[in-house]
Order: sequence, then structure tokens, then C-alpha cells
Amino acid sequence: MEDDRVFSSVHSTVFKESESLEGKCDKIEGYDFNQGVDYPKLMRSMLTTGFQASNLGEAIDVVNQMLDWRLADETTVAEDCSEEEKNPSFRESVKCKIFLGFTSNLVSSGVRDTIRYLVQHHMVDVIVTTTGGVEEDLIKCLAPTFKGDFSLPGAYLRSKGLNRIGNLLVPNDNYCKFEDWIIPIFDEMLKEQKEENVLWTPSKLLARLGKEINNESSYLYWAYKMNIPVFCPGLTDGSLGDMLYFHSFRTSGLIIDVVQDIRAMNGEAVHANPKKTGMIILGGGLPKHHICNANMMRNGADYAVFINTGQEFDGSDSGARPDEAVSWGKIRGSAKTVKVYCDATIAFPLLVAETFATKRDQTCESKT
Amino acid sequence: MSDDEHHFEASESGASKTYPQSAGNIRKGGHIVIKNRPCKVVEVSTSKTGKHGHAKCHFVAIDIFTAKKLEDIVPSSHNCDVPHVNRVDYQLIDITEDGFVSLLTDSGGTKDDLKLPTDDGLTAQMRLGFDEGKDIVVSVMSSMGEEQICAVKEVGGGK
Repeated sequence: MEDDRVFSSVHSTVFKESESLEGKCDKIEGYDFNQGVDYPKLMRSMLTTGFQASNLGEAIDVVNQMLDWRLADETTVAEDCSEEEKNPSFRESVKCKIFLGFTSNLVSSGVRDTIRYLVQHHMVDVIVTTTGGVEEDLIKCLAPTFKGDFSLPGAYLRSKGLNRIGNLLVPNDNYCKFEDWIIPIFDEMLKEQKEENVLWTPSKLLARLGKEINNESSYLYWAYKMNIPVFCPGLTDGSLGDMLYFHSFRTSGLIIDVVQDIRAMNGEAVHANPKKTGMIILGGGLPKHHICNANMMRNGADYAVFINTGQEFDGSDSGARPDEAVSWGKIRGSAKTVKVYCDATIAFPLLVAETFATKRDQTCESKT
Repeated sequence: MSDDEHHFEASESGASKTYPQSAGNIRKGGHIVIKNRPCKVVEVSTSKTGKHGHAKCHFVAIDIFTAKKLEDIVPSSHNCDVPHVNRVDYQLIDITEDGFVSLLTDSGGTKDDLKLPTDDGLTAQMRLGFDEGKDIVVSVMSSMGEEQICAVKEVGGGK
């Protein structure tokens, strides 16, 4: 009798009667390969597969919402808006402004070509990256990066003049070519600074380098052609910084003003209205924070997709989920957000396949 | 007396002021031109080829006339300008009131176009020795069209 009561108690604890989820939540089901290989269907099945596959599916949805949004979708017309903003055809033409940020490893990798595609077709409006994200783009126009292995020993590589980035290999000679290419450009920039009173900024420098590299495989070239600003607040932190250091000995005096660039970067967010803003950020660190911080100046972004492998338990901003940015006012409380915990070299090309590339004709037509 | 080249001609007579030398071959104690100043190298460090580009030599050197410290970083395979540096000894004849010196050349003539050195210690040593009637010999260093007294010594006894 006593045992019966104990058993009954345990039973009711372990087997709590459940609420029905039918019709409320999507069922978990993966792709059924018995139907053959259908890549679009396979990609759509991510949403219901679970774990990070589901997060990738949601990220695809959020980006598609960014791309689909029009001012005309907003049912309320702001009281203080201009006459132009009331015009239905104008409202139909106003799209979401997209900030794309990425760390340098993605440019070292083949994701560079995905980024170049987006820039070439003016599918993003503002870019933020690290110095490595700049120089690796330019260097790949001068000499290739090779596939290696994560476990190649550093001392052995040093003796061979090879540098390892994960499982990629970059010969020292690539950086010699970069030096030979860029030092004369710095000389020319210094001359223009003196003779034409040009006040260089990181973003102006990057536009100039995009012009000088003049190579269609470079995203900086296309950013220059499409007049898409590329911001690099950590300009000294890379080979480009090394070259600025050396140049300062030979012909000192080159000035690169960061204040103009923070005005320009934050202005991209502050003056975005009546557009909404969306962030797509690959990796963490400086590009992530710089975009989030700019959007704080407009009380937050409306859409945010973060793709990185960082965790938040050490308190670093890199690993923080979007909700932490909401607490700072960098993302609106009402925003559509998702973080995908995945190597961006896997997730981002798949995301682009299901978003920008699929919608390309529509996007490209109206932008050009 | 010194490892520098010894000349008894004061003028350059059209000779080049510098000659080229690969950066990798310039050693501590050698000479180098930095920002168009003739300098003596006091520190050299090298970095191998890498993310910063070509292998480089980092020179810290002292302007041989002003003692000002200058730095340069040069790819090690590039040529640098090396200044010709000459030292000639002269006997001191007179110190004029306006700060010039009169020197006796080996050929028996006088050299009157040199100012007292900027180094106060050397100047004091010259004045004191001269006032005491001692025989003073000064070393004059010349390079890249510039000359300066760089050393002073007494020879023999008093008059």
C-alpha cells in the first residue's frame, strides 16, 4: 500500500501529462532522401531539422524578410514624415539598408567570393571588416592562397616560409608582392595629401586600394565601383598596418583620419530612416561591434543575423547573442533576430543561396 | 689611429658624396645616410621575410655632426647610400673672437673657414689649451659637404 503511493508519486513526476503541440509548433523532420536529391528542398528542410540547422533556416527567413521589406509594408504613416514618404510608389521603392560585417578569416577563405558576389551586385549597402579582411582580398589578386592542413607544424612551416591560417597556407612571397604593390600607392597618397589637401581616412584608403587593384575578383574593387563604403576601424592591425609602419620611416607624414570615418559610419545608421536596417555579421570582434554600435545611434537595427561559433559565457561581445545587443539598444526589442552557431564558411554560402542569389533578378534590377 | 679613410685633401674635388651598399651588409659601427644626413650606425636588427613583406634591416644611427638619433627600416636586399667620411688632423693656430678657428694645413697654408665645434666640451678644451700656449691638434671630420671638428688633443710641451 505504501509502495503503491510512492510509485504513483514517481510515475506522475516522470510522466507529466503534456500539453498538445499539434498545430502550435513545427514538427521535427529532416530531409527524406528517398525523394531523391533536391537541393532547394534540402535547404528548406533545415528549418525543421532542429539544432543549428533550424537556426540556419530561421536566419534564411530573417534575411528574406530584410530583402522583402518595403516602406509600403508599414501600415502607419509617421506624422512628421515628408510629403515624398506618403507617395505610394516611393514607399514601394524604399528597401531595408543592409550592413554586412565579417572577420578576416572569411576573406582568407573562399567566402571572399560570396562576399564579392554581394558587393558586385550591390546587394549590401555598408561593409565593415578587419584589416586582414582588406589585405587578404588584395593579396589574392597578386598571388594565391593554398589549402593545407590544420596540423601542419609551425616550426616546419616557418622554415619553408609558409604561414598557416587554420588549414590554409599563405606563402611569405605573397606579402612581399603586397609590399611592392602598396608602398608606391602610399607615396602617391602622401603626395595628394600634400598637394591637394586630401585628408585620408580608412574608408577612403580602401576605396583607393579597390580602384588601384582593378581586378574583378576583388570585393574592394567592386565596392569602389559601386560606391559601397568599406569601413575598417582597426586599420593598423594587419599586414596593411605593417606597411604603414615601414612607410612612416621612408617618407613620414601620411595621415589617416579616423574621426571622419566614425562620422560616416554612424551616419550610415542615423540617416538610414525611413529605411529599416538589417545586420548580417559573420564572425565576432570588431566588425560585429562596430555595426551594432552604429545602429545603436538610431535606437537599434530592425533585423539581425549573427553567424559565428563564439559562446557568451566569458562575457566577450563576440559570442553574445542578439538579445544582449537589445539590452544596449543596438537592436530593437521588436527586431527579428537569430544567431547561428556555425562556421560561417559553411553557413553563409548556403544562406546566400537561399536569399540574395535566389532573389537576385529582383534585387539587381531595382538597384542598378 | 682610426679605421676611417685618411685624406689630406680638404675639398671633395668632385668626388661623389656617397656610394651604394646593400642594406644587409651595413654593420654596427658602419655608416649610413638617413634622411639625407650622414650617420654612424649604433644598432642593427633584422627581421625575416613574413607578413610584413620582404626581410628588413632596422637601423638606429647617430648623425655624425649633430649627434641626433635617427632610425630607418630598409628591405635588406635594397641598396642604401653610404656616406664618404674623412678625417684630417690640423694644428690649431688661432681662435678668432667671432668663433672661427685658424688651422695650419700640411702644405703650410691656413684653413680659416671652420667654426668652433658645437660640442661645448671640445670648445672649452681648445680654448683652455690655446690660452695656456699648448700645441693643439684638432681632427676635422668631413662628409657630404659638411665639416666639423670632432676631436682635440694636445701634443708636446708648453711653449
